[in-house]
Amino acid sequence: MAATGIRLEGISRIFEARGKRTEALKDVSLSTEPGSFTALIGPSGCGKSTILRLCLGLDMPDAGTLTVDGLVPTEATKQGLTGVAFQDAALLPWRNVEANIALPLDVLGRKLSDYRPRIAELIRLVGLEGFEKSLPGELSGGMRQRVAIARALVTKPDVLFLDEPFGALDQILRRQMNIELQRIWMETRATTLLVTHGIDEAVFLADRVVVMASRPGRIAKIIEIDLPRPRHPALFNEEHFHALEREVSEALDGH
Amino acid sequence: MGIRSMLSRVRPLINLLILMAIWEVAGQLKLVADGALPAPSAILLRLLTDWSDYPNHIGATLYGAGAGFLIGNLVAVALGTLFALYPVTARLARGMNVAIFALPPIAISPILVLTLNEMAPRIVLAAIGCYFVTMTSTVVGLTQADPRAIDLVRAYGGNKWQALWLVRMRSALPTILSGLRIAAPNAVLGSILAEFGGGGRWGLGVYLLGSLGRAEPDRLWGIGLVATAIAALAYFAFAALGARLLKGTEAVTVPSALPHSGDVTRPLWQRVLILLGSIALPFALWWALLAALRVPAMIAKTPPGLFDYLFVLPSAAAAQVKLLAALAQTLPMTLIGMAAGLALAFLLALTSQVRPGIVRALLPVALVTQTMPLVALTPLLVLMLGRGPAVILWITISVTFFPAFVTMAQGLLLVPRAALDVPRAYGASLFTQLRLVSVPASLPYLFAATRLTAPRALLGVMIAEWLATGTGLGNLLNQSRGYLDYGMIWAVAVVSVLISVFFYQVVVVIERRTLSRLGMAVAD
Ligand SMILES: Nc1ncnc2c1ncn2[C@@H]1O[C@H](COP(=O)(O)OP(=O)(O)OP(=O)(O)O)[C@@H](O)[C@H]1O
Ligand SMILES: [Mg+2]
Repeated sequence: MAATGIRLEGISRIFEARGKRTEALKDVSLSTEPGSFTALIGPSGCGKSTILRLCLGLDMPDAGTLTVDGLVPTEATKQGLTGVAFQDAALLPWRNVEANIALPLDVLGRKLSDYRPRIAELIRLVGLEGFEKSLPGELSGGMRQRVAIARALVTKPDVLFLDEPFGALDQILRRQMNIELQRIWMETRATTLLVTHGIDEAVFLADRVVVMASRPGRIAKIIEIDLPRPRHPALFNEEHFHALEREVSEALDGH
Repeated sequence: MGIRSMLSRVRPLINLLILMAIWEVAGQLKLVADGALPAPSAILLRLLTDWSDYPNHIGATLYGAGAGFLIGNLVAVALGTLFALYPVTARLARGMNVAIFALPPIAISPILVLTLNEMAPRIVLAAIGCYFVTMTSTVVGLTQADPRAIDLVRAYGGNKWQALWLVRMRSALPTILSGLRIAAPNAVLGSILAEFGGGGRWGLGVYLLGSLGRAEPDRLWGIGLVATAIAALAYFAFAALGARLLKGTEAVTVPSALPHSGDVTRPLWQRVLILLGSIALPFALWWALLAALRVPAMIAKTPPGLFDYLFVLPSAAAAQVKLLAALAQTLPMTLIGMAAGLALAFLLALTSQVRPGIVRALLPVALVTQTMPLVALTPLLVLMLGRGPAVILWITISVTFFPAFVTMAQGLLLVPRAALDVPRAYGASLFTQLRLVSVPASLPYLFAATRLTAPRALLGVMIAEWLATGTGLGNLLNQSRGYLDYGMIWAVAVVSVLISVFFYQVVVVIERRTLSRLGMAVAD
């Protein structure tokens, strides 16, 4: 099996709900290299989450083909190749932090005892030591999102999908998590697709920034980010970084 | 702990004491209905003198109710899970489900007693009393599970069964428990109603029936209170269990995605086939059961036998006239009683959000009116209200109110904190919060309650007609028992089931329209 990253070819998705027709995606083609980091940015409602759901086999395209690591999405997910953190944390309210992080293991039928150290390490990574036994209802919004990120990483996925995982975090924590995410990614080299609204976050993390436009949802521009790795926080103040940010921002405005 | 919170804790107790004091005075002075309401002390004294009679009666009723509760709920959870997983089975079984729910226990208990041995009729009626409530709440709970959590399981390649096991079952638990909470008193009531039908020496129903003619209200009340205490214990056991499990695990946000629509859209011919199947299934079951039990044809009317009775035999015309006259009396009362019971339950459920204290004070009363066997209350109600429509109305409200209230209060309880926070943040008044969030969010539960209420309203009216007013379908049933007119017994039973199914179906149509316009899931 050749790892071939994420591949979308001519994907269209049309929603029809209560008499209203929405072209969420129109003829979207995108392919990412194995081990690459891709950021997906675009106005609200342009179909970013829809792409993620299609990649995870939660939804079917109306046209086009789609593979993850060379497999159809439902096959890739069954084999445990993928990890995901959704836009809203979607934690099970009756499971504590540890048990929520372990949920993918339960679904995939993996042995929990093999993963105990990993779960502890992930909890430390996202800064939730001492909250292992807390229920989601007792956590703040940002803490819940961090649980979701830890959960996405627990299976050591080959392909990682992140839908605005840092949306509810403050700027400082967000930067910290960005640096952590880069470190994790460089260690694991998981093919990563990150949906974000933060231009700086996209430029800092990604090899490529895919800018989308809405109505119908489509790819407007793809911008290569040629910054060397590992990237350091100092980067946020450099001129070249700002130039790239401007380029993304202009693409978002439709230039 | 502050004085205020101490006070709020003992408040219900104080209320109860005041109530008891008033009751005592009223009883001692024979203020209510010429002594039909004895003083609590008199009831208690009588209970003590009669005490040696009780253990056997209680044991027998507990056995019937317990076995029925177990069997009925096991079947209900199993079938409810099947219906939630494969919506097509729910469609096929719809006719059967509503028919089982709408079976008037009074009507079938004589038939059960004739065809089964001593304990079986009680177990069957107790199980029937549990089945529909638990089945419905199982399906509601399983289908209303957070779609985001189910997506997560699916995103890791999880299948239907894993989603069921990891998400749906656990998130349905509070709803199933609230179903069991209603089912528990229902089982006691079912067993007692079967005991009225005859057969057996022991059981609180037997005891009550035997004491009914002897003008001893204090003993009647004693038996009623014991029956109520048993039902109340069962109710509160499940309420406590529910509160424990629910603690701190409510969802924190409202799912924003449309819930997964249950069934795929099918071509017209398939839908027609399913509809026909769901109509045919109860009749097929009815026939098959009679055949399996080898009940003599004289007593047991098969569907064609009933058709003959109503349309072919020489006596058919007379039977039709009697039936239609009874219907004309029963139907209007059913509609009025149902509307009143629902309105009261809804108001109280809303009140329970604003002033939880009121509910805590009223719940015991509601519980009494629900589980106190109506036979024990009827003499009092008749003396107080006469043998007119008012009695029917009160009895109907008392059997519809309680399940409707529990269902709606549960719906309001499940409104997530975060959803209420938004209007609160804008300084919304309690009323505005209710109007903007609580009521719409609990709409599926309001409809579920209405569906639950429709058949019960008819049952309430028939009980009142049988025991108090001597009118309508209830009276016709009682008369036919006396005349051994088995054809008419079956006719009344089947007609009352058909009416219930019709009411139920009307609610479902309105519900579908409303909820789909609001983008909510229909909880069936
Ligand atoms: N299940 C659905 N039914 C109907 N329309 C849908 C559904 N899911 C998404 N849409 C529509 O598809 C479009 C794209 O939605 P999507 O969730 O992918 O947007 P997004 O880019 O993730 O937006 P955001 O940044 O706000 O999260 C929107 O217009 C949305 O209304
Ligand atoms: Mg999105």
